[in-house]
Amino acid sequence: MSQTPRFTRARQLTASVLPGRRADGYPGAVSARMQKLAAARSTGMLPFSGRCDGAIYFRDGKVVYAASGRTPGPATLAEAALAGLSPLGQLTARLAVAEPSVDAALELLSSESRCAKFRADRLPHSDLAPSIGVDDLLAEVARRQRFLKQLSAVLTSDTAVARNPHIRSEAVRVSALQWALLIRVRHGSTPRDLAWELTRSVFGTTAEVYRLLALRLLYVAGHPARARGPLPGDAPDQDLPVMSFVRAVSPQKGDQMPLTVIGTALGAVD
Amino acid sequence: MIVDQAEALLDPVTHIEGFMLGCLIDASTGMVLASRNEQESISVPTAAAGAADIANVLTLLAGALPADGLEDVMVTFRSQLYLIRLVTQDAEPPILLLVILDRMRANLAMARHEIRNFCASMSA
Repeated sequence: MSQTPRFTRARQLTASVLPGRRADGYPGAVSARMQKLAAARSTGMLPFSGRCDGAIYFRDGKVVYAASGRTPGPATLAEAALAGLSPLGQLTARLAVAEPSVDAALELLSSESRCAKFRADRLPHSDLAPSIGVDDLLAEVARRQRFLKQLSAVLTSDTAVARNPHIRSEAVRVSALQWALLIRVRHGSTPRDLAWELTRSVFGTTAEVYRLLALRLLYVAGHPARARGPLPGDAPDQDLPVMSFVRAVSPQKGDQMPLTVIGTALGAVD
Repeated sequence: MIVDQAEALLDPVTHIEGFMLGCLIDASTGMVLASRNEQESISVPTAAAGAADIANVLTLLAGALPADGLEDVMVTFRSQLYLIRLVTQDAEPPILLLVILDRMRANLAMARHEIRNFCASMSA
């Protein structure tokens, strides 16, 4: 007779069939399925449903497009339109097409959505599409998940933020994007709302909103203690955990990853 | 790589004396857009993440100090030089170029000059 409690056993069984329930190791199973599709050089669509609807499209085993109901879609761009652009213009145009697919894949692989039967030969009509290796995509998604985990104690893509009421516009030095975010923030806006409004990646917008929190130009709604106005010469908010791309890189075996808080080295952890 | 056909853009950078690694990074997300690596011992994702973190910290600092937009950063290690440069001031998203050079073979002034020319040619 099984030693597993009946309730736990029931949860394990339903998790594998009910949408919205995550089976143990489910994200790993999706990754393995995508790697199989890559190895078989498959062409078609892998649909997802549940908390986040969407699909990942493959051509010859490479990801050419991904869409999710919770992230803005890619810019439509024709290959011919790239001809007159500078090398940097071409790079940013290709990035504008690839980034939304990575953003959608992050959402699909991080939410409790379930993938359904692969539908061969179903592809979106798109003139300019990225061609992303599955391993590259999975590595990037994993890096982004680790990065978002660092921020999650303070901010997620769905955390409501508000603008610091004490901002004096002449004292604010921000990038054009940060300014575009600042002027769109209403009380209760989330990074995801702002991403949709600006048709930008949800991941990139969340990172940018975190930078604005560090600059004390925004604060997490419901935490007015953080809303003290920035004064000339103020250092960034030292109470916020520092966001680090280095810590989000997958550690190799035996590597020591530095653990630091702004201005204070805490040492290293395995 | 996530972005197609981007690696060829880095060809001119590989001709800099002492070249070890070059990569283009989306500074807002930390994603590597293209890389050329002639040194197996250097991890491209780690080097790129470090460059993005440095640029991020200095941008935060520039928001709090009367410093104008970040242009470039040079980091000197005993055996390597790290040069990080914003390809242009106004690109959206901001794109960083990271070049790692062998300090014994590189000429810092020449390398910086060549990197500046490369970045200018990217926008032309």
